[in-house]
Amino acid sequence: MLYFEKRQSVPQYFKVIIPIISLLIGLIIGAIAVAIVGINPLDVYGGILSNAFGSWYAFSETLVAATPLILITAGLIVVFRMNVWNIGAYGQYIMGAIFSSYFALFASHGLSKPAMLVVMVISSMIGGAIWALIPTFLKIFWEVNEVITTLLLNYIALYILKFLMYGPWKNPESYGFPLSKTFPQTAILPVLFKGTRLTVGIIFALITVLIVWFLIKKSKFGYEVRVIGDNPLAAKYAGISVNRNIIIGMAISGALAGLAGMTEVSGIVHYLQVKIGADYGYTAIIVAWISYLDPLVTILASILFGGLASGGYSLQITMRVSYGIVGLIESITLFSLVGAQIFLNYKLRWKNGSS
Amino acid sequence: MEEIVLETRNITKIFPETIANKNISFKLKKGEIHALLGENGAGKTTLMNILYGIYMPTNGEIFINGQKVTIKSPLDAIRLGIGMIHQHFMLVETLTVLENIILGLKEYGFVINKRAVKEKLKEIERLYSLKVEPNVKVWQTTVGEQQKIEIIKVLFRGANILILDEPTAVLTPQETQGLFKILKKMKDDGKSIIFITHKLEEVMQIADTITVLRKGEVIKTLPKDKTTKSELAQLMVGETQTCDFLRKRKETDETILSIKGLTVYSDKGTKSLKGVDLDVKRGEILGIAGISGNGQKELVQTIAGLKKVAEGKIIFNGVDITNKHPRFISRLGINYIPADRLAMGVAPNLSSIDNAIMRRYYRFPLSKRGIMNYTKALAYTRMMAKAYKIKLDNPFAPIKLLSGGNMQKLILAREILENPKLLIASYPTRGLDIASTQFFRQKLIEIANKGKTIILVSEDLDEILSLSDRIAVMYEGRIVGIMDAEKADKNTIGLMMAGAKA
Repeated sequence: MLYFEKRQSVPQYFKVIIPIISLLIGLIIGAIAVAIVGINPLDVYGGILSNAFGSWYAFSETLVAATPLILITAGLIVVFRMNVWNIGAYGQYIMGAIFSSYFALFASHGLSKPAMLVVMVISSMIGGAIWALIPTFLKIFWEVNEVITTLLLNYIALYILKFLMYGPWKNPESYGFPLSKTFPQTAILPVLFKGTRLTVGIIFALITVLIVWFLIKKSKFGYEVRVIGDNPLAAKYAGISVNRNIIIGMAISGALAGLAGMTEVSGIVHYLQVKIGADYGYTAIIVAWISYLDPLVTILASILFGGLASGGYSLQITMRVSYGIVGLIESITLFSLVGAQIFLNYKLRWKNGSS
Repeated sequence: MEEIVLETRNITKIFPETIANKNISFKLKKGEIHALLGENGAGKTTLMNILYGIYMPTNGEIFINGQKVTIKSPLDAIRLGIGMIHQHFMLVETLTVLENIILGLKEYGFVINKRAVKEKLKEIERLYSLKVEPNVKVWQTTVGEQQKIEIIKVLFRGANILILDEPTAVLTPQETQGLFKILKKMKDDGKSIIFITHKLEEVMQIADTITVLRKGEVIKTLPKDKTTKSELAQLMVGETQTCDFLRKRKETDETILSIKGLTVYSDKGTKSLKGVDLDVKRGEILGIAGISGNGQKELVQTIAGLKKVAEGKIIFNGVDITNKHPRFISRLGINYIPADRLAMGVAPNLSSIDNAIMRRYYRFPLSKRGIMNYTKALAYTRMMAKAYKIKLDNPFAPIKLLSGGNMQKLILAREILENPKLLIASYPTRGLDIASTQFFRQKLIEIANKGKTIILVSEDLDEILSLSDRIAVMYEGRIVGIMDAEKADKNTIGLMMAGAKA
């Protein structure tokens, strides 16, 4: 009988080898699936690779997709390390987008571009944080499970966004499409390199990662997070206020998801609409997980996923492959990456006998 | 006729760090209630887990009805007619009582044949007065009822040998008496029962034969009629070893800690402290004796600020610390070595450094304006390891890799280095080898000789007697007596631990 046995200690190199092997296995299974549909898998993978990393423009698009992922993941890491499961980055992202769009759409007159952008950054972070703090207080005061509440608030955020887009914030000249007026020039994030869509958002993301890295590794808050994550009872015994740290962590996590929403509407879309890429909020959960909750690894993992997304997206245009195929490959790879993590802590053994 | 239904011969179980059972041989007769008596860590539960197929013994043999058997899993045990009622019930709360009882049984069909089940339930009720309401959900039942469900589950599977692991720990006295009636009926019906406990009172009330375990070994098996509570208490805790620490008593008449009418509720909502009054004098070592589960843990955790006070007051050095934050209390000079190292004393997966600085990480020089100085933290940990002879090969490795003794030394060092005015040590030597135990006792005496006050909680009467200046005995959430250690003897304390009034 096959069974899992817990590893006593985990060699460091496992943390590198296991994801690489599982990525390869995922790609092989994906290749089989693609072959069944009658497409040459090498063409697909080659296409994704060249569309994601093949040229400077392709790579800039990968970074565009990586920007919100990095921001959201960096925040999720902080709370995941305390075993608090924020599944609500999706909704916090939307709230960040809505809050910052309010200023872009209705309060832009008289503000210079830098002032406008600062207002938008701050308001998006406040919007995301509020959305993350509602379930946090429910958890602290009434022990409501945050997995459920953060998830449900995602739908509420989405419907608020839809209400605004079909109702009060709708652009009268949009021919019935659910989108707002275009933002004024002052509310648009500057592009870093001419000819690309890559904005200063990526710089926000990299700075954020450094800050989170510093928080986790060097700050007193990071120490407390570590103790809480490993043994909340020991934390209480050491006089650490568990609730206070969870509140701070959730506020950070929500604020960064909100900021990601702002970089997307202000940097890429330039108006508010129903589809603003809030799904990054879910992808980021997986990115956080396969990054071993390490902020620096997050950059790498986010670029990988950003590349898969943008490479796959362009593939349907260049090769006329259905995006469903790309989605399939993406899902299989994810499944394999996340599933293989069990081998970090367990090894497979064979046991004789029937019992 | 003396029919032996179960026998173990020289059962030995070795775990990586400890020998849990050593050459255990005992015999269970048909139709008897056999008590396995011993302190926590004496090896009772390990032995039962071997009989129930959860562990395999390292050595030794098991015989059922004279046949040698190998029990590889609980399934084997059930097939051999052994049923176990665990201390923590194994019930699915959202299913009904009936569904729980037949869980895993195939003979009642895919669509449950409720009539057949109910008939069998009636039969059990008739035989043992075990009555349950089959159609309610388990979460709606009381703890006492849940235990009945567990017993019925076992009987349903045709058990002739029942193992009950500390069955009365969660019951009220009335429920306990009810359980005893049921056990007697089962005994009269020819069932054999192993009753695991550390409560002397219950043993004397219910058992026919008593086997005392200590440190993984059988100390003695004796019939109930030929023993007394105080003899059993002594067998449980062992002989007094001579101890020659030089204690210079330093206590004063000044009260450093004063507790008045302290009432605390457990997580389950029952009272775990029922109005405790206690004055601790500056400079004394106050031993708190008692069988575990009688409120000692709650008392010291409440002093340390880890449990909410429902009624009463705690005054330390003139400051009211009732329901104050644990850090406020530790900064006033109360430090605490928790009873369970891995559950509360350390964060097991974090490094020794992280664990060593737990009490002072937020202060200069370990942190400044919210930023940690891990270089200083490492130096502090190295200093600690050197001063307290902690074997620390790699301070960056998870602390759970340290041996129990080294981990406990680190906790002790961490607390003592805070220079407390009052040190609470809860079961400080539990599970340690002789050398570490001696080291600990030595250290406690040393700091007491410097004029510090110590509260020592222990189940080990020898430890309490050899270290304490005064001894308080706790029973069922109250302090039932307090005496000078020089005038105390084991017999009296043993009796008080079992509930006798001073």
